[in-house]
Amino acid sequence: MATLAVPVEEKKKAEEQEALITGAEAIAVACKLANVDVVTAYPIRPYDTVMQYISQLVADGEMDCEYIVAEGEHSQFEIVKHASVCGARVFCGSSGVGWMYAMEALTVTPALRVPLVAMVGNRALDDPGAFGVEHNDALAVRDLGWLLNWVDSAQEALDTALIAYRVAEDPRMFVPCAISCDGAFLTHSQALVKIPSAGQVNQFLPRYNRGKLLLHPDNVVSIAPQVNEDWVMEIRRQNYQVTEQAIGVIREVYADFERIFGRKYGNPFFEEFMTEDAEVVLLGMGTLSTSVKVAIRKLREQGVKAGFVRLRWFRPFDGPDVAKCLDRFKAIGVIDRDFSFGSPDLSGVLATEVRSAMYTNAKNRPPVLGFICGLGGREVTVPDVEKMTNIVFHAAKGDAQPLTQWIGLRE
Amino acid sequence: MGQLFAVEIIYRGVFQKTLAKNITRGIVLAAHFEGKPGISFGRYGDSPERNGIPAKSFAIVASDDLTLEAGMAQYEPKKVDLIVVLDDTLCKGTESWAWYGLQPVHHALKPGSTLIVDSLQEPVQLLEEIQRRDTPYKLGIVKGVASFSGMWVYKDDHTDVRILGAIAKALPELVSLQSVEKFINAKLKNPLKASSARAAFERFSTVDVEPGTGNPEEPFHFKLPKWQDMRKGVSVEGQPQGAPIADPVTGQKGGFRPVRNELFRKYSTRTMRPLINFSTCTKCTLCWLNCPDAAFDVAADGTYDPNLEACCGCGICEAVCPVSNCITMVNESEFTDNHSQWVQFRTNKEAYLALLERKAQPVADRSHGFRFRGQYQQQVPAVLEAVKKG
Amino acid sequence: MSHTLVDEKPTQLLEPFKGVKKVPYHEYYTSGHRTCQGCESAQIMKLMAKAAGPRTIVLGSTGCMYVANTSYYATPWGVPWMHTQLGSSGSAALGAAAAFRAQMRKGEMKDEPINVIAFCGDGGGADMGLAAISATLTHPDYNLLILMYDNESYANTDIQISGTSPYGVNTSFSTPGKVKRIMHHRWKKNVAPLMIAGHPTVKYVGTISTSYPLQAMNAVRKALSIGGPTFIHCLNPCPKGWDFDPEFAYELGQLAVNTGIWPLYEVVNGVLKLYGKTEQIANGRFKRLPVRDYLLKQGRFAHFTDEDIEFFQSKVDEMWEQWLVPGVIPLRHELRAASEI
Repeated sequence: MATLAVPVEEKKKAEEQEALITGAEAIAVACKLANVDVVTAYPIRPYDTVMQYISQLVADGEMDCEYIVAEGEHSQFEIVKHASVCGARVFCGSSGVGWMYAMEALTVTPALRVPLVAMVGNRALDDPGAFGVEHNDALAVRDLGWLLNWVDSAQEALDTALIAYRVAEDPRMFVPCAISCDGAFLTHSQALVKIPSAGQVNQFLPRYNRGKLLLHPDNVVSIAPQVNEDWVMEIRRQNYQVTEQAIGVIREVYADFERIFGRKYGNPFFEEFMTEDAEVVLLGMGTLSTSVKVAIRKLREQGVKAGFVRLRWFRPFDGPDVAKCLDRFKAIGVIDRDFSFGSPDLSGVLATEVRSAMYTNAKNRPPVLGFICGLGGREVTVPDVEKMTNIVFHAAKGDAQPLTQWIGLRE
Repeated sequence: MGQLFAVEIIYRGVFQKTLAKNITRGIVLAAHFEGKPGISFGRYGDSPERNGIPAKSFAIVASDDLTLEAGMAQYEPKKVDLIVVLDDTLCKGTESWAWYGLQPVHHALKPGSTLIVDSLQEPVQLLEEIQRRDTPYKLGIVKGVASFSGMWVYKDDHTDVRILGAIAKALPELVSLQSVEKFINAKLKNPLKASSARAAFERFSTVDVEPGTGNPEEPFHFKLPKWQDMRKGVSVEGQPQGAPIADPVTGQKGGFRPVRNELFRKYSTRTMRPLINFSTCTKCTLCWLNCPDAAFDVAADGTYDPNLEACCGCGICEAVCPVSNCITMVNESEFTDNHSQWVQFRTNKEAYLALLERKAQPVADRSHGFRFRGQYQQQVPAVLEAVKKG
Repeated sequence: MSHTLVDEKPTQLLEPFKGVKKVPYHEYYTSGHRTCQGCESAQIMKLMAKAAGPRTIVLGSTGCMYVANTSYYATPWGVPWMHTQLGSSGSAALGAAAAFRAQMRKGEMKDEPINVIAFCGDGGGADMGLAAISATLTHPDYNLLILMYDNESYANTDIQISGTSPYGVNTSFSTPGKVKRIMHHRWKKNVAPLMIAGHPTVKYVGTISTSYPLQAMNAVRKALSIGGPTFIHCLNPCPKGWDFDPEFAYELGQLAVNTGIWPLYEVVNGVLKLYGKTEQIANGRFKRLPVRDYLLKQGRFAHFTDEDIEFFQSKVDEMWEQWLVPGVIPLRHELRAASEI
């Protein structure tokens, strides 16, 4: 199932080639273009096709990096963390319970201001084991200082990986960034992707410079001493400064990306689809966007004024802008491809975040319904989207609706 | 709001861990016989305790549960009604595991309250070490040699119950002697210990310490930076390299003094210090090489001078020195400053050797920690005997 | 191992110190750490840093040598140091070595041999981090040293049993009680041989003791100079956890060797060489002291009965009388009677 989401505008570039590659492979190409120094691999479906591609690039001499196959995800992420502190540009990735196995490393990396770009091939968490897409793996680090985004096409995956390096390695940031690609629909389907030139990338990506935080004999420094209650508030407050500046930095980087590569993503934080005159909208992340757009076009033909907002950056979550955008509609349906047991209204993570953003920033405060859909790799189908849109319209008319509904469930 | 009492115990980490806990638990359990609720806790920042490094434990007792809450959920009470110092070498001030610079032992003591010290010295001698302050307090001695044990084997020499007896005398509103005895008989089931508590109660007395009395030294301290001023990325400057030392007499340069971590000087960890006879030293390097704390400066003449701000008094140098009596561990209370022994030796050799002669007497028993199975069984009767004579 | 596919990078050539008088004055792990009086784990940190010298980075996994050393925003380290997670010393060394190698190859960093050392405690190395260390030791193309300081417990959390705690020891996870005197039945993990046997391409694995300070430093220098991933296991008497007067830390280290409990040896390019009193025990020039002399000087064995001591003695006797490679490889050679060995 090819994904044809084409960014808003696009100028033809002479030396750009084109390749038929998956989202995972697109990120591998980005790593090559970014001249990554250290990559750590470990097998787990569905992310690891990125590592298979990198292995071939290294063997073919197209990529000059230390390619290390670790003995587990915990080591995978610890190796690249230390490589980054020693000045190397690094790449890593995992899926599902593999990502969870690295959790200790995932917590210390942002805390120590260590930039790292990682791919998460979203996959259901065990048990039972399931290969299909679910977003709980990447979402598990949402409070820890990671930048988190979801892409829905191989082109966007490549572009966002380059953007992620620029953002993560900005000295104001120095934090890790995870690019989430839905298992199967993005990690395993090849699409036509424009490959920018090395020259463009060199112009876009400055060399990673760790400055006074570099671990090297010429910089005698001790990093991460044990601290007690006299210090932790201050250290956390320093790291909060990252979240205060992140939205500005990301806007700068997208503007620079457009200037150099010619691809315009508009508002970096979310894409609006047919929302200009929409009465209700659906909101979601990742490759469910394709089924939603197909369904919305179909509904539009029947005169149904529905729209779709695709969130790209989950962290930092641009609460004010998202709320300002959503406040224009009569009702909103948030599609969560994740679960959040015991959460308020038993809604998914995304619905809870959107409601929180709306509560503080929105004036009209339209109803925000939560849909649990597409768990464990189940497809989000066009009929599912039509059903959800219909429910949201009922809510828009004031009919009482359960705040969380499971769509596409055999019941 | 009812009555709230806080008692602070300052002790040698690990060596007096069980003793301190016995005391704070004893206070709470004894006070409970008078219907008072209480809590007992160690200072969280002191754990994991380290051999010799000063630590604190607390007992908080109140007239009722509601009042008790005002004394809870804190690492240490801001003000205390009574302080017990379980080893008199702590009187020079404590730089604890939780790092606050050097803190006088009466740091948190309310004006007019009592400071109890377990010591063989007299108050006037202790006041040469205890920093002066601008409010009055009472100083009382519980006669005894500091009671040291280790992690697993406890030396029960009745110090815990004798301190409880003294506390009942110093602060009867907190707990009476009768309650202390009820606790000992009911919980410890040891009438001998009850009589030790009573004896300590009867013998305990205090002297009034006027404002301005004591050691004039201004203890070193640190101001913690605001978050905007702290280095980013949880990073800290490493230590630069040291340099040779100048001979105080000839000015000739030689040897080496390493740069040391200024933010933890560690000398308040000592109960003993190494006294060096530079004239018999064969410059064999073993004290310097085997010192885990890199405390020895290499002197300009190639001998080894323990830096008395860095030395923590472990005693390994004395054990590994091949020359008999070249290094002798001496009770820290014998000294009032941390000046260099080598400088004293170089500037006035006779005076230094005379001091060496006076101080380096082999003290009967300086064990700080477990040495062999059965050791405590041998030591305890002697301690009880000495205490009985008073 | 000079197979063409592994392009080995040069290391610093660190000559052994020819005697205690030749040991340099500089301290790269200086005073002002919050360790216990007489802490031999601190002692090996000092010796290790001094042996490695200034062109070194050190990575330290969680444990006493992390928490006690770099507490509250201060540090005793005179070389660059960074904390790593309890089970990550293998990965930390690998990541650092890989980063230097890549940047130097690409001309982004001055090309010079930098010593990469990761230290871990017995909990970090023999328990949680064993898999990562084992994986790291299989990488022939990275020069690094993993040094495990072994105080035979999780000491930083107030002394709990680890995989290298001795049989029957008293710790806060194995306190003797009214019904069970011995709560810890496991025998100490034989860690260095595990690394030797498991990773045939490793060029240096050794055991050291802080009671042999000169050999300890020269082992570090040899491991750093020989190249590739190397491993050193150091026994460190711990006055707090073992419960003895700190003054006898050095003596306890000697006793561990003299009783045959702690064998000293190094395997250099596959060749085993015993040293110190261990060598003399093996060639009969020194009679092993009874383990009782060692055990009863420590409060952690104060609860031992004669029966426990005899069992402990019998296991140590086995090491020297029945093991195929006495003190090192616990394979028994059925055909040869005990006396022939």
